[in-house]
Amino acid sequence: MPGRMIQLGNSTRGALSRERDVREAYSAHSGELYGFAVRSLGDAGLAEEAVQETFVRAWRAGDRFDPKIGSLRTWLFAILRNVVIDLGRARAVRPGVAEGGIEPSVEPLDEALTAWQVEEAMRRIGDEHRRVLVETYYRGRPYAEVAEELGVPEGTVKSRVYYGLRALRVVLEEMGYED
Amino acid sequence: MKTRNDCREWRELLGAHALGHLEGDEKAGLEAHLDGCARCRDELASLRPVALMLPHADPARFGPAPRPPAELGQRIAATIAGEEQRAQKRRRRRLFGGFALGGATAAAVATVLLLFVFGGGEQSPRQEVEFADLPAGITIDAALEPHSYGTEIHMYVHGVPSGTLCRVWLRGPNGASYPAGTFRYRWGDDSDAVLSSALDLSRTRAVVVDTGKRTFVAPVDQPVAALHNANEEEPT
Repeated sequence: MPGRMIQLGNSTRGALSRERDVREAYSAHSGELYGFAVRSLGDAGLAEEAVQETFVRAWRAGDRFDPKIGSLRTWLFAILRNVVIDLGRARAVRPGVAEGGIEPSVEPLDEALTAWQVEEAMRRIGDEHRRVLVETYYRGRPYAEVAEELGVPEGTVKSRVYYGLRALRVVLEEMGYED
Repeated sequence: MKTRNDCREWRELLGAHALGHLEGDEKAGLEAHLDGCARCRDELASLRPVALMLPHADPARFGPAPRPPAELGQRIAATIAGEEQRAQKRRRRRLFGGFALGGATAAAVATVLLLFVFGGGEQSPRQEVEFADLPAGITIDAALEPHSYGTEIHMYVHGVPSGTLCRVWLRGPNGASYPAGTFRYRWGDDSDAVLSSALDLSRTRAVVVDTGKRTFVAPVDQPVAALHNANEEEPT
């Protein structure tokens, strides 16, 4: 496990004790929470359930949220993590609930969170950068072959790999990554 | 060995190097450059953690992220608003209960109010019961309504694991339990479960909810019993 990965977010909102605060938090973070929930649970319906329960629990415990300890985003992800564990246990005694063709994540939850962050960062970088990282790293193809396919010099593929990693680093930092 | 005059050209190889993709002269040349270039060493050091994270990701999941349905936010807002209303109701109930216990005058006021509520006015003779000493995070509310067939039970549960099967009984004056049905609690569903039992409300002494791991009991107040026929035969 590289670095100190699971340090999410850097926003400093106040408590969630008011409905308006929940609306703002939902607007800012529901997409990421939902994305991670879908990845972990493999079921869109369960993911909705998890996100809803996360915000309800956050609202109930809103007075206990302290931005000095961690960001709202970090706190929401910590709640979601517990909700996903609870839902996983409930599903274990109710086999067959997950439907809809999305494979649930099978790795431990913290690794799933790391994986999800990288995947989210990959979505946010440019197509050219993502493409060369996928071809050279994930598919293990020779740089010369990728260069020929893209119609660019091999050196350009290498520089795109460099700038792609830099872009990933920037996005991960924006998401709260600290190494 | 390939020569590169510009530091920038060496730097653009750092990504491939961090991924372990360089070899031969190119790798040796870059390593020689790194020995003498603190800036490029720092840059490589900043890329390594990112490179080490890549194996965790699944490239099949790099496509567009799923988005939550538009109505999810509204559902959450409605759930929270519903919980807030219930909390306010509980606070009012506690306030009234404490007041009624405060003295004879307050008790008389309470009696008058009970007669108004349960004595055939326009308001429903709905009776709310309170589950005391619930574990933190668990909410159970129940309201009972008398009918000719028995008792209708409106039950709200929150805070137990989603999917929990809840069994409900009414307890009669002799301690016997009369089934009122079952329901399954789901996160996100803020509606009341509506159940019924053949036991008359006038004979009901408690509401019992079994969530599988725990059983919760709420006593049913007596004043309402006087307004019903206490001589009816109990259901079997």
